[in-house]
Amino acid sequence: MNPTPSVAERLDHAIGQVLGGASPAVASASAGLDLTTRPLIEVAEAVRGALPVLPASPGFEGRLDARLTGAVASRDALAWALRHPGRLIVTGAVGSAVGVGVTAYAVWRSSRRSAPHRFLGR
Amino acid sequence: MGAVMGDPDPDLVDVRAAQVDHSAFGTLYRRYLDRVYGYCFYLLGDHHDAEDATERTFLAALAAIDRYRDQGSTFRAWLFRIAHNQLANALRARSRQRTAPLDAVMEPMAPGDPAAELVQAEEARTVRRAVALLAEDRRQVIVLRFVDGLSAREIGAVIGRSEGAVRVLQHRALRDLAALLARR
Repeated sequence: MNPTPSVAERLDHAIGQVLGGASPAVASASAGLDLTTRPLIEVAEAVRGALPVLPASPGFEGRLDARLTGAVASRDALAWALRHPGRLIVTGAVGSAVGVGVTAYAVWRSSRRSAPHRFLGR
Repeated sequence: MGAVMGDPDPDLVDVRAAQVDHSAFGTLYRRYLDRVYGYCFYLLGDHHDAEDATERTFLAALAAIDRYRDQGSTFRAWLFRIAHNQLANALRARSRQRTAPLDAVMEPMAPGDPAAELVQAEEARTVRRAVALLAEDRRQVIVLRFVDGLSAREIGAVIGRSEGAVRVLQHRALRDLAALLARR
């Protein structure tokens, strides 16, 4: 049990009321602030009016949105790969096999094309 | 991060969704972008630096979202803790506190008497200059409380202090501000 709230606790309570829209007089009375602390609630009211929530610029919001979307996509791809290592290995193996096949075909085609030239050069 | 009991976490459902499907992180991003950006701007005093710190904060939060656990702390306290660390890095790299006062804030102009609006805008500028003169830990408490609406418990989780220490810092910050504003 905390029988007597400290000055700082009462002030915090009054600030909460001011932030909720109460007038400084009502907040001070409700929190039971003494006469020396009451002026601080007037200051709190002035601070509340002087420090508005600042909207970020639409350009910045759009850029950051795009960066977060990209980060989500790459995280999801990585998470998928980690969840399905077998599929990742199969995908890699198939990709490598296709690559080897295409390369072998290209080498074979180029050798077939260049063969008549070699005969002609004899 | 230490447990912070007692603050209900309104973001928990969205956090769970983002842990299952990372694309759901966008909901949390849109909810907190302006607040995190405001926190960074009021501490760094420069829009470009604030954007850089904000970007790093959200990328780090996305990278770590799977590891977030509901251990009595709120998601927003966890998020602002990341922002706090990014700010510490930025301030260390800069090796001095601010390059510009907080005058770059656009005043919300209410329809009415232009002369009264000018007076109000000037008063707000004076308060912001006073906030900029506060010691860094006190300024952080003021910004997290008044701009971002965090409770003393959440602020304690962000800056690594106890709830009671945060309330004392808040009290001292307002006392400092009262003295600075009385001198103008």
